Amino acid sequence: MRNHKKPSFTWRNIIESRLFFPLIALFLILLFDFIFVPGFFNIENRDGNLYGSLIDIFRNGSTVMLLAIGMTLVIATGGVDLSVGAVMAIAASVAGILMNPSALRNEVFFVTDPTYTFQPLWVVIGTALVVSIICGLWNGVLVAYMRIQPMVATLILMIAGRGIAQLITNGLRVQITYRPYAYIGQGWIILPFSLYLVAFVYALTWLLTRKTAIGMFIESVGINFRSSFFSGIDEKKIKLLVYTFCGLCAGIAGLVASSNIRTSDANNIGLTTELDAILAVVIGGGSMAGGRFSLLASMVGALVMQAITQSMYARGVPAFALQAIKALVVVFVILLFSEQVRGFIRGLSTKKKEV
Amino acid sequence: MLERVNKFISNNRKFIPIFSTAVLALAAYGIGAYFFVGMRNPQVFFNLFRNSSWLLISAVGSTLVILTGGIDLSVSGVVALTTVSSAVLLRDGWNAWGVILLMLAMGMTLGAIMGSFIVYLKVQPFIATLAGMWFARGMCFFISDDAVTIDDRLFRILGKTKILIPGLTEIAANQGNPAPYISIPVIVAFIVLIVGIYITQFTRFGRTVYAIGGNEGRNEQSARLMGLRVDRTKLLVYTFNGFCSALAGLALALFVYSGHGLYAPGFELEVIASVVMGGTMLTGGSGYVIGTLFGVMVLAVTQALIQFIGSLSSWWTKIVIGVLTLIFIGVQTGLATRKDKYALTQDAEALQAAQIRRRRQAFVWGGFVIILVLGFIFVPKLIGGNGSETTVSAACEVAPFREDEAARMIAEGAVIVYNRAAGPQCVDEIFAFYPDGRILGNDGTNQVESQVPPSEVEQLLTTISRDYEWYTDEIYNTYHNPCRQCFTHFIVMSHDGQEKAVTAVDGGVDMPPGYGLTLAIIRPLLPEITAGQ
Amino acid sequence: MSETNANILVMEGVSKAFPGVQALDNVDFTLRRGEIHCLVGENGAGKSTLIKVLTGVDQPDAGMIILDGNEIHSRSPQHAQTLGISTVYQEINLCPNLTVAENILLGREPRKWNGIDWVRMNAEAGEILKRVLDVDIDVTKLLGTYTVAIQQMVAIARALDITSAKILILDEPTSSLDEHEVQQLFKVMRKLREDGVGIIFITHFIGQVYEISDRITVLRNGLLIGTFDTSSLQRVELIAKMIGRSLDDLDEMSKIKLESSKHIRTEALLKADGLGRAGSISPFDLELHAGEVVGLAGLLGSGRTETANLLFGIDKPDTGSITYEGVEVTEYTPLASIKRGVALLPEDRKAEGVVDDLTVRENIVLAMQANNGWFNYLSVQEQYAIADKYIEILQIATPSPDQPVKNLSGGNQQKVILARWLATNPHLLILDEPTRGIDVGTKAEIQKLVLSLADEGKSCVFISSELEEVLRTSHRIIVLREREKVAEFSGEVDENTIIHAIAGSEA
Repeated sequence: MRNHKKPSFTWRNIIESRLFFPLIALFLILLFDFIFVPGFFNIENRDGNLYGSLIDIFRNGSTVMLLAIGMTLVIATGGVDLSVGAVMAIAASVAGILMNPSALRNEVFFVTDPTYTFQPLWVVIGTALVVSIICGLWNGVLVAYMRIQPMVATLILMIAGRGIAQLITNGLRVQITYRPYAYIGQGWIILPFSLYLVAFVYALTWLLTRKTAIGMFIESVGINFRSSFFSGIDEKKIKLLVYTFCGLCAGIAGLVASSNIRTSDANNIGLTTELDAILAVVIGGGSMAGGRFSLLASMVGALVMQAITQSMYARGVPAFALQAIKALVVVFVILLFSEQVRGFIRGLSTKKKEV
Repeated sequence: MLERVNKFISNNRKFIPIFSTAVLALAAYGIGAYFFVGMRNPQVFFNLFRNSSWLLISAVGSTLVILTGGIDLSVSGVVALTTVSSAVLLRDGWNAWGVILLMLAMGMTLGAIMGSFIVYLKVQPFIATLAGMWFARGMCFFISDDAVTIDDRLFRILGKTKILIPGLTEIAANQGNPAPYISIPVIVAFIVLIVGIYITQFTRFGRTVYAIGGNEGRNEQSARLMGLRVDRTKLLVYTFNGFCSALAGLALALFVYSGHGLYAPGFELEVIASVVMGGTMLTGGSGYVIGTLFGVMVLAVTQALIQFIGSLSSWWTKIVIGVLTLIFIGVQTGLATRKDKYALTQDAEALQAAQIRRRRQAFVWGGFVIILVLGFIFVPKLIGGNGSETTVSAACEVAPFREDEAARMIAEGAVIVYNRAAGPQCVDEIFAFYPDGRILGNDGTNQVESQVPPSEVEQLLTTISRDYEWYTDEIYNTYHNPCRQCFTHFIVMSHDGQEKAVTAVDGGVDMPPGYGLTLAIIRPLLPEITAGQ
Repeated sequence: MSETNANILVMEGVSKAFPGVQALDNVDFTLRRGEIHCLVGENGAGKSTLIKVLTGVDQPDAGMIILDGNEIHSRSPQHAQTLGISTVYQEINLCPNLTVAENILLGREPRKWNGIDWVRMNAEAGEILKRVLDVDIDVTKLLGTYTVAIQQMVAIARALDITSAKILILDEPTSSLDEHEVQQLFKVMRKLREDGVGIIFITHFIGQVYEISDRITVLRNGLLIGTFDTSSLQRVELIAKMIGRSLDDLDEMSKIKLESSKHIRTEALLKADGLGRAGSISPFDLELHAGEVVGLAGLLGSGRTETANLLFGIDKPDTGSITYEGVEVTEYTPLASIKRGVALLPEDRKAEGVVDDLTVRENIVLAMQANNGWFNYLSVQEQYAIADKYIEILQIATPSPDQPVKNLSGGNQQKVILARWLATNPHLLILDEPTRGIDVGTKAEIQKLVLSLADEGKSCVFISSELEEVLRTSHRIIVLREREKVAEFSGEVDENTIIHAIAGSEA
């Protein structure tokens, strides 16, 4: 019986690996920081915890990384989920209200006791996650069973979801003062707590997709769902699963985000994050038509987006000018991955071989 | 009799979505007029159009894009960019007509660039136009961080000229009411609407647009095989929409008389909602431009109703719009898939039965929609929210208005008191203008005092009360949760025996134009409050 | 009139190869003015390639095309249109959301100062339809509101109006038409023939071939079998040429004894009782036994693939039932069939078989994994072991199991899919056109494999357009014609008889 070793580390394999491009991009950005942003790489050690700009990239990027994990699977089936930002807001609103329901009575009762919470933490987090799973199920049913185009189906929740989040908090921004909850986004065990959360979700997803048949089925459905059907794969269940999972990831991201700013802000939480998540997947080499996916590459893509943001802030670029820069990044990435450019590069390398 | 009605409906089946939207808009307005006396004023009806001229302009352009099966998310960015750019150029002394032409050219260029990406680089419209939006909004802040006011004569004429409605003037005069009017941007919007209708019905370009989008976008290949210039048409469609976005931006600038990168947030979703509710399917190939007019009207009526109820924050508009769009898209898709299934059955009887079933469903859905809309309007009113909103902004705690202090200042003889809070620097400042030309200001800790000629304060008073109609119904409260880095405003004016206080917030289009103008003439006179005074 | 003048089109020595398969091999074809010429052949015979070469979709490797005395090279379908070659495909390439008038005239529509002149356009469109096709319909209604038959008429009208067409190619135009509509189309075709247009008519309905055509050209496996006058070619002969030998050969051959197998069980593994689906296949009875190969013979469109799909659960039946191992089947899905031990190698390798971005290994284990479910994951070593085993058994030519399947040749792709189904260890294996588009050597391999599977005790259904291979591999042969089971043969059978059964005439 032949022995199949892991693919060797030849130059060819490295360049063609999915991780190559996003890692290079990340490297270049960090290089830029190293040269132009003094103190970017400084890591302080305060009471055993590490702080610094580099650490901040990971900490602030954790919401997008979480979203990117869910979004990768959805895009791999050939779909897209535009509602993740809205689901983040919904999850945050649910959590906020369960800790401090005074908003529902139209009073704003300022809680000063950091140990006060209306419902215990596990109820708060549990309910928020259940609600986000329901949102994901909603999307999944629309796409898989009612056969509505993913962009249109998730657009509905994207528009209405913010309104629902508003409804839950009665239009007010709910302040979060419960210390254990704030820990999610602001806690620190040597490294930021949210990083461990991301690692946990990543590990779980990796197990779920690579140690079971689910990953292979997702890719198969994304590449050719009719052939998958003939092979006995139930495409509907797979799609339902990925959209539900994406909703869950968005819910977790919503908890992290709201804990970060200590507010359940139905208006602003998760605004434009759906685009960041999609971009992270694209930078990680994911094709919007579906097919092969790499969770790690998407997360690196998310880090690239965050690194750009962070570096710009460090250089004093104002928040909204950042949008223009992100746009240029999008353009650049798309150009790079477009057929024309790829063909051009391939043409170059074959010419080299002939010589 | 029923037979004839059925026949009429089936012959004009394609117009049903438009018809139902139009009915919805008019019905909602009618119901509102029944409950709210104010809405019976014909001016309120015309204000629907004055308040949404930019939405109509942009929606017409977007209708063409959506008909090709594409989408354009950049509209809000281009609108904001247009307002900022024109404001800054005018401030720097450029000729107004030149600015207008330049803005339109800019819009067309941006549209053409995005169109090339979509057509030649095969980028998905969703991503290309999204990048365009980010880029445009980002560019706004390269031009100016703060809102820039527009104080150009031509712009004032274009925006403020009242165009009286022939026929209604006499009626109004008989009733003792001011003559109802519309503004120039409304005329422009209707011109764009007519142009849009003409293009889609009478030009090869327009018919190619339909051909491309048909069959849910699968028709593109067929259109090419028929020899139609698919690529060129798509490129032109995005260019035209860029033109419309810029024109919409100008219309907006003519309403709020200022420009800011934060303007028109979520505008692209309003545009999409208008187009969808006007009967155009997001998948492309079917729909009429005239329907978009009714879609815009539905949005405008919703907004007006919410304003008249008064107790709801303007975010409720977004919820209602979202729900309505949801219902429309859902019904559209449902009807479409059903149509496909039955097209295959050759059985005439089955087809007939299916049609009748569908018609009944359409009526049920229509009724459901109307009930839902009414519910959203009146249920909250019955529950009775009192609109006290304490805002806790994460970055900045918005200070409540200093009403008592203002009252005290008025009692001490101030004629104008201006209190502003939040903004990028998170301030809480109050200024008082006195008839002798003194201007006092403080931010709670520091104080400042400056002096201007008394005639200037006199001039302020006259302009604000007479030209900007401070004491009329034209100026009303539009306060709501401010966006991050937006200012909140509170102005009290006491003059000629009248006193009126009005609140407002930056970053929306709710602010009545007169208010914006008032801010514009007050702002330059404000002294700066620095620490240590 | 000289020979060249009578021929509006001459194609000489046309050859075209795709990776792994010779689609056309030195084919000649002539078309006369004012003639309806049928092009027949089973799938993979080369008909569509010939048309693609003529209309410029593909470029030929060799050969000459002479149109009206001049040599031409079509660069694209639009170019071919300007040269005078119009094509109407089965999928109407028009816009159903535009009106009939627009579909005919868009791109050349009449205009006045303020845009499209609808009045004139509608009038002109109506006039064109009347003049060219003698058809009278409301041109202001949307194309999509009309039946497929009318839509085809409109497509033809547009095609013919654009340039005075010299050649009209109709590619399977009658597949979605009912009898009445077919007659309408034929009326139009006859009128065009009178006007001197040369028509190439591609269809798999033999009855229609005889009803309308003047001459017939038969292709098989990329080769020209011959061009015949319709009046002098018997139906039976035509079928023989399409799927097997010439009729003379057949008459000379002695009876063939179908392979006998010692391992055929008597009790039925699968029993179909009155199984049918409206529009696909009329209710039929069928029994399949372990250790037996049943061949399904018939022409394209006779319902073979539909039968296979029903047995495997791709489609749900409208009537009848299937009993498997004595138990009645209640769930008609591919997965349920796999669990029962049924496998289907689908007809359309690209659309229904291969998942091209996945590797050879992943493609092979796919159905097996689907059978295991989401959580019972085959370990990577197990997957490699299975992949290696079948690469060996079927001699799949691939550098490694980690090659994306899209990089393999057609024949090897087919082997991968076959491996996929063999890996599920089925009791019943249905093979729909397993040797299409595959080189001769591999064909023989697969045929041998099928017989050996039967020897091992499996039950096989073997579907093919090539009568030869059906004969060589089957213990029993079932003949389908026009979506109906018409005959069943076993033991000793006269090949001639089978062909007659397929043709629908007496021996």
